[in-house]
Amino acid sequence: MPQTASLIDDTERPKPGYQVRPALHVAAQATIPGEPSVTESRPATVIRAPSFSPLTLARGVVLLVQYRDLLYTLSMHRLKVRYKQSVLGPSWAVLQPLSLMLIYTVVFSRIARVPSEGTPYALFAYCALLPWTYFSTALSTATHSLVSHFSLVTKVYFPREILPLTYVIASLVDFVVASTVLVGLLLYYDVSLTVRAFYAIPTIAVLTLFTVAVSLVLSAIQVRYRDIGVAMPLVLQLWMFATPVVYPLSVVPESWRTLYLLNPMVGIIESFRRVILQGEPPDFQALAMSAIVSMILLPLAYIYFKHMEATVADII
Amino acid sequence: MIDLSVDHVSKRYRVRQTADANRGRRTLRQKFEALRGRSDEFWALRDVSFDVARGETLGIIGHNGAGKSTILKVLSSVTAPTSGEITIRGRLSALIEVGSGFHPELTGRENIYLSGPILGMRRREIANKLERIIDFAGVRDFIDTPVKHYSSGMYVRLGFSIAAHLEPDILLLDEVLAVGDAAFQVKCLDRVNELHRQGRTIVFISHDLGAVERMCGRVLLMKRGQVVADGHPRDVIAKYQEVSSGYVPSEPHSLAQAILSHEVEITSVTCHDVDGREAAVFRTGAAARVRVSYVTHQPVPDAIIEVYVYSLLEKLYGAWCQLTTASRNGEGIDLKPGPGAVEFEVEELSFLPGMYYVSATIVHREQPLGTAIDWQSQCLTLRVDPGRFIRGTFYMPHHWQSLPVPPPEEARPPASESFTS
Repeated sequence: MPQTASLIDDTERPKPGYQVRPALHVAAQATIPGEPSVTESRPATVIRAPSFSPLTLARGVVLLVQYRDLLYTLSMHRLKVRYKQSVLGPSWAVLQPLSLMLIYTVVFSRIARVPSEGTPYALFAYCALLPWTYFSTALSTATHSLVSHFSLVTKVYFPREILPLTYVIASLVDFVVASTVLVGLLLYYDVSLTVRAFYAIPTIAVLTLFTVAVSLVLSAIQVRYRDIGVAMPLVLQLWMFATPVVYPLSVVPESWRTLYLLNPMVGIIESFRRVILQGEPPDFQALAMSAIVSMILLPLAYIYFKHMEATVADII
Repeated sequence: MIDLSVDHVSKRYRVRQTADANRGRRTLRQKFEALRGRSDEFWALRDVSFDVARGETLGIIGHNGAGKSTILKVLSSVTAPTSGEITIRGRLSALIEVGSGFHPELTGRENIYLSGPILGMRRREIANKLERIIDFAGVRDFIDTPVKHYSSGMYVRLGFSIAAHLEPDILLLDEVLAVGDAAFQVKCLDRVNELHRQGRTIVFISHDLGAVERMCGRVLLMKRGQVVADGHPRDVIAKYQEVSSGYVPSEPHSLAQAILSHEVEITSVTCHDVDGREAAVFRTGAAARVRVSYVTHQPVPDAIIEVYVYSLLEKLYGAWCQLTTASRNGEGIDLKPGPGAVEFEVEELSFLPGMYYVSATIVHREQPLGTAIDWQSQCLTLRVDPGRFIRGTFYMPHHWQSLPVPPPEEARPPASESFTS
């Protein structure tokens, strides 16, 4: 009966007519059965102006953990859509380092005769191209992550670092897929792994830390200075030649070594190749250098990113 | 219990000067400085403070650029305040359309799973609500089709449905109800209603004064980034209208598409109150007159003069009504050369409080749609203030009477007899 409905409405509401249109649809019931009632104790969130503090870091990590579902979903999404409407699909993950390996093998092994420390050059090159492709793909995609999602970034809040992170995760999965080819090459060239191959895991961990740190910084800068994105392919090209990917570390002159080792990718790539192909322990000195650089860079990058995040929607 | 507390919040935007006359001649350093964006400052919010109690529905009104949307962005953490502090108790989310986050190659279902977590939903939560979201959006038949094949309406509805199934403690609404068709809007309003009945806190930002008046228990008026009034909806809305008196919503313009034959020209359209004074403000239930003056250049034997009244948010409710000189069987009137005028008398104005546009037209009887003799679109703005209190979407003028109490049952002759007699 409509009269009953209005009476109940009036007792509930502070003033007459306090209702959402269309009134015709307002039911008389006060609560919806089956819906959870509003709880009394709720966590309080405080929003303040952005400021540099170690707390930023802790709070950021806590929030990121709360949003782990989004991190997972978006990372899966990257993998799913990366090769949508392409004929070769996920095999591109393998084809990219593989084709680079073939090109470099022809150029540096057949034409230029670069030494490869006793292993077949194809294997030598692929073993370095694998982590390098992970790094360069992650970086070049993550750099654009904030800008390409501007319609979301200006509308909804979620921890923005999720965007670059998902590209890193997707590239890591590609890395794992492309590793199967490495296994094939090892079998083909009859190179057997030793127990030291397990050193590859901490090596890739350091690489991931470093990739995340650089991705955070570059994606945040890209929002304001689009030059970063334009320069990326060139920078990555130069960076690759400044890293022992197509040549061994041993050919770098001793006098250059100190400067050369400042590039964190040197320790990572060289160690990865060494533990897989030579069965030797990693170059601890170089790897430690990379690890230290990454560990210092990552929190700084994260704080910088979080600082930028506060106003990213205004600039983008 | 305070759910939302905004404490001395200010927000500064730095506006970059992109249109620079001697752009090409700038040094690299100047370009760099320009990108750093130090050139211009704009305070979108200045020292804004207010509290919202649990279960309260707060309306925020103000002109464009008053800072309403900035408030929403700051509340939803999309952008940080420049100074001040906001305390939010519980889960806050905005009722927004997230279709922009969709991936065109993914199906509707996949996009729900993609967009849900962006809004802060857990995957399990999405799985539980999936069926409801699909039904709400009305896209069940296409849920496994890539969204690139969706119509724009379906796209928007699906994007909106996901947000509509959040269960926030505090809900932010930003004119969002202007999404989709009328039927979908009704669903959305129902949903807002439901959340309100569950005692959730709602912050509603709108231009539609009528809707704010009906929905909100308290209203803030913003002007140039500041809160200039805070209180009972009726008082604050009155103040807003005071501030905006002389404000013309849009320039009068002729309907571009209409083909006009101009045998008669409308010279003026005015509204008058019961005493014949020209007026632009009426109260619900009050008497009103609408006068249309015209000049006839060539005689028209079958003219029909009509007045249309649209809600300011006409798109939202599709609400318009018509006053016409046409008789019950559609006969027109005979217009002789020279000036003339007609006056429509409305005994009781049936509109809810809000802003309305008036358009007037003169047509031939049975003239095809899109053609007219003359058409003045939105030539008058009407404001309807709360008057007679009514519920519903409009007021229906009516009479009533008490019926005589029927005599006791046994005193009446049997019913069958009265028919047979």
